[in-house]
Amino acid sequence: MSEVTRSVKISRRRNGHPVVREEHKLGYSTKTAMLLLTPSGLILGALVVVPLIFLVFTSFTDFNQRTLFTGEFNVVGLSTYAAVLADSEFWWSVVRTVLLMAACVAGTVLLGMAVAQFMTKLGKVTQYIVTVTMILAWAMPEVASAEVWNWLFQPGYGVINWLLTQLHVFGDVTNVSWANDARLAYICIWLLVVWQAIPFVAVTMFAAIQQVDPSCIEAAKIDGAGPVRLYWMITIPLVKPTLLLVTVLSIIWDFNIFNQIWLVSKGGPDNATANLGVFTYKKAFVGFDIGNGAAISVITTLMLLALTAVYIRSLLKSGEDLV
Amino acid sequence: MNSHKPIRHAVMTVLGLLFAAAYFFPFYWMVNSALKPRSEIMTSTPLFWPKHITMQNFVVAITQTNFMINLKNSLIVVFSAVVFSVIFAFFACYALTRFCFRGRAAFMVGILVIQMLPGTAMLIPQFLVFNQLGLLNTYLGLILAYVSAVLPFSIWNLRNFFLNIPIEVEEAAMIDGANTWQILWHITFPLLVPGLVSTSIFAFISAWNDYLTAYTFMKDQSMYTLPVWLASFTTPRGVDYGSQMAAATLFSLPVVIVFLLVQRKVTEGAALGAVKG
Repeated sequence: MSEVTRSVKISRRRNGHPVVREEHKLGYSTKTAMLLLTPSGLILGALVVVPLIFLVFTSFTDFNQRTLFTGEFNVVGLSTYAAVLADSEFWWSVVRTVLLMAACVAGTVLLGMAVAQFMTKLGKVTQYIVTVTMILAWAMPEVASAEVWNWLFQPGYGVINWLLTQLHVFGDVTNVSWANDARLAYICIWLLVVWQAIPFVAVTMFAAIQQVDPSCIEAAKIDGAGPVRLYWMITIPLVKPTLLLVTVLSIIWDFNIFNQIWLVSKGGPDNATANLGVFTYKKAFVGFDIGNGAAISVITTLMLLALTAVYIRSLLKSGEDLV
Repeated sequence: MNSHKPIRHAVMTVLGLLFAAAYFFPFYWMVNSALKPRSEIMTSTPLFWPKHITMQNFVVAITQTNFMINLKNSLIVVFSAVVFSVIFAFFACYALTRFCFRGRAAFMVGILVIQMLPGTAMLIPQFLVFNQLGLLNTYLGLILAYVSAVLPFSIWNLRNFFLNIPIEVEEAAMIDGANTWQILWHITFPLLVPGLVSTSIFAFISAWNDYLTAYTFMKDQSMYTLPVWLASFTTPRGVDYGSQMAAATLFSLPVVIVFLLVQRKVTEGAALGAVKG
């Protein structure tokens, strides 16, 4: 038979221990491997790679609502990009995306770290209660939590407005509509995003902090390090890989925020909370200016890839454990 | 020093419980509102505990015209997507971990990059392609969209489980004369059940929760999935927060239960960049 005997290299990573490489001789053929990869390859090729190429192509056309029915469109070259880049609304949505992302990432990561550290000081039972309540928040589907938010912040009968009125600091705010005021809408969306994202960061970082070798802490204590110094000089450096991963993931997620904005404020008032996701969606699926929407999507994708380039490069470098 | 310890512990416990209570509040408020009769929802001073617990809101939510139809749509689409992506991921991971061929690392990097793409980047071209193929507003279209969205992470997640199965077991079977398919079915598959369960759960959660794709692709109310149903929830009497919160509770329930059951797995998988709430 034409079965080729090949040596299979398998690298395993066991809980952060160095990669162990072992050589095995198995009589598997490459043909079988390709056969096994075919279903996934077909799906990813036909439904991800081809559409991506199509997206880039569409971004050079004047694809619009009429095209959806007639199939007629013109290739207009770079003029979609010129139109997008000349649109001040586009640049504003870039600014909003970056600011909202920065605020959400900072809030999530800093508060998440604080909660993780706080959890280490708690007894077992309290720790468990805190974990479970956070998992409930984390588990809620975004659509459900956004609807709950709309009810919590509802003008007239919302419990948040009632609580704030009771504080007697802001006066009577019972009928304040959060979604209709740009600054309040941002606060509302930020709270929603951060509330749902902290559990992931806190639980992951808590697990990482627990992995820190106690003897490192002991040694530093003997050398006279106080709690603050201990945290910055020992804990942080030792959990840095996990911290970096959580931060990069938060950047990706918070750059792509859509549901929370769409369901709380629809990007309003007057597009004040429309980030790139909402702006693109409105262009492509409300105005059906699909050519321009595609151009914005291409630009957005490139921006995100640039933002995470360092991370992707480190992944490529550690190609070892991808094999 | 030692005499301060119990006090410190008590203070920390109180702070911890206060934090948990604050964190739990939105969730509590959803369930609390769902259980209140209409007269206790719109009150000038909110009632923090329902005076009369009622299931009326749940009845209103379930008897909404489209609830059962949309639930059926969700179940069909989500389960098909989960089954296909887990099977495809299983085959792909076997190839990726047991065979040596060129482009293996490139495939994995490609999968990671795909996962980072913004939602609209996939949405626009898939919408156009599906429009051409007449797949908008159909189960098949949404299933295909979900499989393509869920498959990369499924491969990524399942691969770790494959790497943890000692290859010696398979070698032994091979020496005994089993062929690739026999090994795959009789040896690898049974050992991989935990991995398959974990991958299915992640796939289920992300497909069940998806709003944007279903909202864009499914235009008839009778084709909506539950998230779209919930987001467009209005009763004939206008916005009724009680039944809306009951609807939100019903929709969240399966995910919350699954999350709590597999809490540990979730927190482990999270570190791999898994689930976005």
